[in-house]
Amino acid sequence: MTRPESAAQPALERHEVLGLRSPLTPRQTAARARRFGALYYADMWIRRMRGYQGTVLMTAIGTPLVYLLGMGTGLAVLIDGNSNAGFPGGDGSTVSYLVFLGPALVATAALMVSSEENTYTVMGGFKWHRTYYGPNASPISSGQIALGHVLGVTVRILLTTGLYYLFLVLFGAVVQPATGWLMIFTALLAGLAFGMPLLAFSSTLKEDKGQFAMVQRFIVMPLFLFSGTFFPLESLPLAVRWIGWISPLWHSTELGRVLSYGHPEPAAMTAVHLVYLLVLTVGGLVLARRNFTRRLDG
Amino acid sequence: MSIENRTAPTVLVPQDRFLGSLYGRNIRAVIARGLKATWGTNWSIMVSGFVEPVLYLVAMGIGLGALVGAVSGPGGQEMEYANFIAPALLAVSAMNGAVYDSTMNVFFKLHYSRLYEGMLSTPLGPLDVAMGEIFLALLRGALYATGFTAVMGAMGLITSPWALLMIPAAVVIAFGFASFGMAVTSYMKTFQQLDWVQMIMLPMFLLSATFYPLSVYPEAVQSVIQALPLWHGVELLRQISVGIFSWGTAGHLLYFVVMIVLGLTLTTNRLRALFLK
Repeated sequence: MTRPESAAQPALERHEVLGLRSPLTPRQTAARARRFGALYYADMWIRRMRGYQGTVLMTAIGTPLVYLLGMGTGLAVLIDGNSNAGFPGGDGSTVSYLVFLGPALVATAALMVSSEENTYTVMGGFKWHRTYYGPNASPISSGQIALGHVLGVTVRILLTTGLYYLFLVLFGAVVQPATGWLMIFTALLAGLAFGMPLLAFSSTLKEDKGQFAMVQRFIVMPLFLFSGTFFPLESLPLAVRWIGWISPLWHSTELGRVLSYGHPEPAAMTAVHLVYLLVLTVGGLVLARRNFTRRLDG
Repeated sequence: MSIENRTAPTVLVPQDRFLGSLYGRNIRAVIARGLKATWGTNWSIMVSGFVEPVLYLVAMGIGLGALVGAVSGPGGQEMEYANFIAPALLAVSAMNGAVYDSTMNVFFKLHYSRLYEGMLSTPLGPLDVAMGEIFLALLRGALYATGFTAVMGAMGLITSPWALLMIPAAVVIAFGFASFGMAVTSYMKTFQQLDWVQMIMLPMFLLSATFYPLSVYPEAVQSVIQALPLWHGVELLRQISVGIFSWGTAGHLLYFVVMIVLGLTLTTNRLRALFLK
């Protein structure tokens, strides 16, 4: 349908000539921002991430390769050759060290990405680059900014865990692919269950006086090493085994093992893992949103 | 202007002395400044740096040791897994400390705080700056190596008095990495390029016969690993830790001596190219 041309009518706007939707009024734009603000912020977060996409891809591809080659094949030669070591799979079978290790590596990768993006990036948002303040001057609320940040981090974690899972399949480290792919999401839960409380902490910091280095050294590292990642938690003495019990990494890894090769475990325990991870995630997110609101609107 | 000014320039640098244009004979000024700056801001981070290899030693030595059992060490003798990985972890920690100090820290001082420009506008030369920075990194490395060796002793992992020599050997390894790291940093333009350093160190850490003997690899892979500096560091410390030496020991040491000389030459040239054009 074409409009009748007449001299009385004003010249057509560019978007009308192109047959596009008419632009929103400022009021409509604001209403939209209020509704989808978190997605808008996540969109910006992801675009900013493209500024360091080389690093993102390198960690998402290089790290799995190196760990799978180094630990999954090199160390596995020693461990699988040792008769004392056997990892129980489903139905009384045993699985190889590589299969045992796989879910732990995916969850670890999620944790590492999360610990990076919920520390320095947050400090960048509040202080170094002040990326939170522009959106906060628009109709987007501070709670939506917090949520948008979390969505952005979630996308990066999923990229990492998804690629990692593909590598595991290529290395033949997944016994049950039908359920195994779900470890992409249980690993994400490890990242979020650790990342949300960390985000709540980071959003209170006014200055980095080495707190992030301390978090890395005294929390992330011990969690990585004592969460039954490279060996069953039971190999450790009780004095340090509790680190695994409180570690999101251990709970997520155990879920991944059940999904990947049918690691024998009572269903109640599986439920405990899930609930623990969800409680940490939701609790941390609530705290983080509160801190964002206090700091940006206060 | 006046003729005197054109014909009699003031010579500030004693160019008749060996390396006179590069070296102001005042490394201690750079070191003193570094110590003061460290103590003023982040000594707790510095001191706690030795925790990481200790955590690896406890976790892997006990947990993984239960799975692996005994491993064949230098001279083919069987050894406990914790004894096997402890010297390797010390070598890794020497590498990590030296590389972080000479890349991240140096990069920051080079491009953000512009510390070296200030230093080089005094009678200090690029060699003073390079040697001073490297000395600081080595001091830190020596501190960590001593702490780690003490923990090894406490865990009952020291079986030979030779093991004390691991401390100076770790410093030699750190020297090799630090002198090279600084040269590499001088080519870097952005922060993101530092991530590539990380991506070189992680494979070296995991693949350099740190957690298992070289013999698990096929022949072709073995020779690639043997070309890497960390493998020489790991082997050197592993031999020292049990006091079993061979011609290989001298070879490993020689590798690091060459690395140090090459790295220092390159670093000094680069600093001169950057600042004294």
